[in-house]
Amino acid sequence: MPKEFTIPPVTFPTSNTPTPTTSTTTTTPQPPHLHHRQPPTAPFQPPRPSASSLPFMSFDIASTSANSSSSFFPPPSSTSSTSSSSALFAGEEPSLLEELEINPSLIWRKTLSLIHPFRLNPSLHSDPDLSGPFLYYFAFSLFQLLAGKVQFGVILGWLAISSIFLYSTLNFLAGKNGNLDLYRSFSVVGYCLLPIVIYSAASLFLPPTPTTAAFLIAAVFVVWATRVSSRLLAVDELGASEHRALIAYPCFLIYSLFSMLVMF
Amino acid sequence: MYNNVGAQRPGQQPPFPPQANPFGTTFSGAGSGLLRSGLTAYGEKIFGSSSEYVQSNISRYFADPQYYFQVNDDYVRNKLKVVLFPFLHRGHWTRVTEPMAGKISYKPPIYDINAPDLYIPTMAFLSYVMLAGLTLGLYGKFTPETVNWLLMKGLVGWFLEVSLLKLTLMSLSSGETPLLDIVAYAGYSFAGISLALLGKLFWRHSYYILLPWSCVCMGVFLVKTMKRVLYAEVRSYDSGKHHVLLLLNALAQIPLFLWLGNITVSWLF
Repeated sequence: MPKEFTIPPVTFPTSNTPTPTTSTTTTTPQPPHLHHRQPPTAPFQPPRPSASSLPFMSFDIASTSANSSSSFFPPPSSTSSTSSSSALFAGEEPSLLEELEINPSLIWRKTLSLIHPFRLNPSLHSDPDLSGPFLYYFAFSLFQLLAGKVQFGVILGWLAISSIFLYSTLNFLAGKNGNLDLYRSFSVVGYCLLPIVIYSAASLFLPPTPTTAAFLIAAVFVVWATRVSSRLLAVDELGASEHRALIAYPCFLIYSLFSMLVMF
Repeated sequence: MYNNVGAQRPGQQPPFPPQANPFGTTFSGAGSGLLRSGLTAYGEKIFGSSSEYVQSNISRYFADPQYYFQVNDDYVRNKLKVVLFPFLHRGHWTRVTEPMAGKISYKPPIYDINAPDLYIPTMAFLSYVMLAGLTLGLYGKFTPETVNWLLMKGLVGWFLEVSLLKLTLMSLSSGETPLLDIVAYAGYSFAGISLALLGKLFWRHSYYILLPWSCVCMGVFLVKTMKRVLYAEVRSYDSGKHHVLLLLNALAQIPLFLWLGNITVSWLF
């Protein structure tokens, strides 16, 4: 039996009530109205067995507590999963790193894969990620700061422009089936900045630039970065045998520009 | 007629996403599809299919850039050989045509060594910027701002060369060559200048050998290419006037190369 609520009675204007100007004194309804009005119930009340194994989906607000913890659309098998669904829905959120999509283990794995210039697993980099490049950008800028050059804006601008340039060039080269999107271009250029970051850290201790040895060391790092980035970009149809050098050359130009920032 | 329009309207409305979902995002259902298709259409218009571009009026001035990037390794290597050593090119210099839907169009660069492309000029221009920056760095004058100035200098040089070629073509013929063709021909000069700068890095005096060499090579290349371009466009071939202008073109390369090859911090001189 549904509970009876005591609701303050409300007058509904019907045809036999007098005009409002005459009945402003009284707001209480007439006793005959009380008889005609039903207490408020849900529009559809299924026959509720007292102790049932199958909880029925009903829209009764004052229902049992098992259904009240679930959300607006309760899961189909609600008995077993109310505990798990309540764990997700009732107040617990994903961690901040997950929400920001910063995945430290993925960044670490990608970094490790880049350290080997010759054995590279390009499948790791198939899902692009901008948090690793952000870390590399900051590390690069901070190492440059240690060398006395404040170049935060310069490096960021050069990264952006070179990613856009690489994106447009490689898509032009690939023709109709170019599927390099801008996000992935940013990601690849940023990740392959790692050798340049190492170079800028090392250049704090190495001989100053106008010597031949310094140029050779810079050349080693630039070639490493070029090799890695062209391997990563050559994953899709672009990377047919006829385009390897064509992809590598813009990457070479980009990383040699960055290494010039370190050298001079 | 108006009844028809009125009857069609309700049917054409896109179905709304179910309102009972309070956690729905704004891009659910029909919205994101429209957005994506709009962007796809716009993107296709820019990097679009060649057939649409050729048939539009824009194609007279600004041909489809996709054509100029259909290159491969072999083409790039052979074309660089042609640009840097044009005397050694044994074959003919005319572009291979293919009739396509009534209009004559040229084969893309993969199939034709004489077709212009935009990959080599762009890469040569950026190599010029990079090598010039390296040269400045050896004098101790490299800062990130100098890269901007070098870019500007290179672009001005490219623009001057394009305007020179365009003026020549316009005064001699009807001037129907697509602009990107002329941009490509002008950009090949950066390959020679980059070679001269590279030589300068290794041995200072090689610059004074390589720069005149690349001047002469570029002059020869331009003369031969422009001659073929004019052949393709002009009915009557007035050889005296053409030859004089082409030679002037080749001679004008000398001051241009001297200016571009002279790397200093103040970009104008």
